[in-house]
Amino acid sequence: MIFRAVEDADLIRQAARGSVESYNLLVSRWEKRVYNYLLRITTNREDALDLTQDVFLKAYQNLRKLDDPGRFAAWLYRIAHNEAFSMFRKRRPETDVDELEPTPTETGVTVGGSSVFPMELSLAVSGALGRLSAEQREAVVLKIYQGFKFEEMAEILSCPVSTIKSRLYTALELLKTELAPVKARGVS
Amino acid sequence: MSCSPFDLKEYFLKELPIPQAAQVEAHVNMCSGCREELDRLQLTEAALFSLRDEEIPQRIAFVSDKIFEPSPIRRWLSAFWGQSARLGFASAAMLSAAIVFSSVYKSAPAPSPGPAVIQRVAAVVPTPEEIQARIDAAVAKSVDQALTKSEKSRQLVADLTRANEQAQAMLVRAMGEIEMYQKHQQVHNLANYTQPPPPTGEDK
Repeated sequence: MIFRAVEDADLIRQAARGSVESYNLLVSRWEKRVYNYLLRITTNREDALDLTQDVFLKAYQNLRKLDDPGRFAAWLYRIAHNEAFSMFRKRRPETDVDELEPTPTETGVTVGGSSVFPMELSLAVSGALGRLSAEQREAVVLKIYQGFKFEEMAEILSCPVSTIKSRLYTALELLKTELAPVKARGVS
Repeated sequence: MSCSPFDLKEYFLKELPIPQAAQVEAHVNMCSGCREELDRLQLTEAALFSLRDEEIPQRIAFVSDKIFEPSPIRRWLSAFWGQSARLGFASAAMLSAAIVFSSVYKSAPAPSPGPAVIQRVAAVVPTPEEIQARIDAAVAKSVDQALTKSEKSRQLVADLTRANEQAQAMLVRAMGEIEMYQKHQQVHNLANYTQPPPPTGEDK
């Protein structure tokens, strides 16, 4: 993991000096994670793919502004967060930030009318995640799926750690209420 | 409500330092309420992980994408400066430009303790006055040569005219002589017709 981080730092430095090949390699390492992060907060594959493209384009254009290559992940996710919420605002400009979220569906994540996750448990998880607010869902995605620390999440979301904790704990309580019994039934 | 010495959710989310995490772990082993709470959190997490990461449907393209390429000027510069032959050519061009610039915009070079090469170059390069003098001399020489050539041509034409006149005179003289000869011949022929034929041997 440390070796990988050093390698990423080298690639970032080379890419900042204009090496497209280095940046291409960097993209190949991060594109799947960024895409899945965006997929879980937008619940739409096409939007997630378009946003992923925009994120890496914007990151390349601003790579020289990144002072510390060790903070690349948080910096990249910050761009992704901004791009996603910018898209939400453009689509529903009159809506309050707390309500900036894709429409939750009881049938899970859908693309063109077809279900992405057909399994019963997956549907239940998708439904539970869909019922969270956009901010709560993003906190869960960043912590549970992407494995960021509170400080990194605070940097990505540009808010205090206390706010992060509040959003995450509330989300976990809601998810626990819905999913723990479901999981218990599904597993046993 | 948890009775754990430290935040149970922070322990679950692996945000506690190791000593505090150890204390929570010890507490959870003894407290059934906290054990149950932790179990539910872990079940929730396991359920969340039933949503697996998807493969990205389409790779993010960069190398072939024009928008990610350096600007045309940057590409041209890198291609230009990347070749030693072009670099040499550029150096020669810059040196030539410097020589021309110094010859046009600088007056006679003041003696300076510069490198020998520069002094040699300065000595070879003429001043504008010298260039003007050379041009004037070259023009005067060309004018002289043109005048000389013109004089020679005139003389040649005169010679040719004279020769032509002489030839014409000779021709007239020859014509006169031919005419005289023809007249002589006619007189001689007439004389032959008028005289009796000489006597032959049969008449005797």
